[in-house]
Amino acid sequence: MEEREVVVEVKDLVKDFGDRTVLNGIDLKVYRGETLVIMGGSGCGKSTLLRHMIGNIKPTSGRVELLGEDITDRYDAELDNVRKKIGMSFQSSALFDSMTVAENVSLPLKEHTNLEQSVIDIMITMKLELVGLRGFEDLLPSELSGGMRKRVGLARAIAMDPQIVFYDEPTAGLDPIVASVVDKLIKDLSEKLSITSVVVTHDMKSVFAIANRVAMLYQGKVLEVGTCEEIKNSKNPMVQQFISGSFDGPIHFFQQKDDYLEDLTK
Amino acid sequence: MQINMEDMNGVTIVRMNGDIDINSAPDVKKSFDTTVSEKKDKVVINLKEVGYVDSSGLATLVEILKNLRSYGGKLKLTNLSAKVKGLFEITKLDKLFDIVPEEEDAVGTF
Repeated sequence: MEEREVVVEVKDLVKDFGDRTVLNGIDLKVYRGETLVIMGGSGCGKSTLLRHMIGNIKPTSGRVELLGEDITDRYDAELDNVRKKIGMSFQSSALFDSMTVAENVSLPLKEHTNLEQSVIDIMITMKLELVGLRGFEDLLPSELSGGMRKRVGLARAIAMDPQIVFYDEPTAGLDPIVASVVDKLIKDLSEKLSITSVVVTHDMKSVFAIANRVAMLYQGKVLEVGTCEEIKNSKNPMVQQFISGSFDGPIHFFQQKDDYLEDLTK
Repeated sequence: MQINMEDMNGVTIVRMNGDIDINSAPDVKKSFDTTVSEKKDKVVINLKEVGYVDSSGLATLVEILKNLRSYGGKLKLTNLSAKVKGLFEITKLDKLFDIVPEEEDAVGTF
């Protein structure tokens, strides 16, 4: 059997913020060409894990490899080369408000290439066509809906023809129809352009619409990794509770502490 | 990226070898400056030895096509590998360019 190429590898990753351990021994691999969805409740550490994968933050211990390079101890300037090969779609879209759609999408091309403006302009038209926004080049982000801003962010993420695109909560704050549009776009881009995708989300509809594999995070650990079918049929009650969105189950939203009354009266 | 240009019976044949990507696209664009300034109106680009064309490479080919068309010039692309042809199809550029299987066929059909 052909061995699959690993493009991201996280090894025994631990991250502490003060005395709080957010990631507690994460082992995870991402294979070339797949869409891996990292799901879990708010505050479970999934966005923190994503930021480690792109070298934005450094772990307390453990290693991170991106496209065959150990990026654990590298800082911004040393990460430039490998970062040119990845794209990032942020939860907030992270567009520059004072720049038009075309200027936002062309930013990485102007920063990292020697291409002539006339060639960049053609590339922008091609990228905006892929996300269904051709004709909106001259508008400002404030003149777009939330879903359109997400798509502009996507066009910018794929501007440099990345090998991997990382998505942080791509459907957060969108209505169900626009969320489906964004899901379909992520799936189309992955399939048509053979892009590897790593998606962080807690939107269960998105998970099963786009994932080849799913990793569920809970309390800083990977609870389970598997295909959509394997996750749907998981015997783990925590996975099942998360999928069903049920209040009752082993996952508690509120920490039950015995010292509440003491806290009130101290 | 190696670019070889040859004039054959009034047709400019350009043979490329290597990937057309963000690194090589500016050179590819520059290599057509003379072709455009001399208003060569029949151009064939043979992509037989081109393994990959990224979006900057595709955009560069579109820019070359635009420049040629500005004075009535014509461009044909030949010998695309299945992978490269797929890239043209995804971006719908297969409908923009005149894509011909073999170089000989292209030369004879202007």
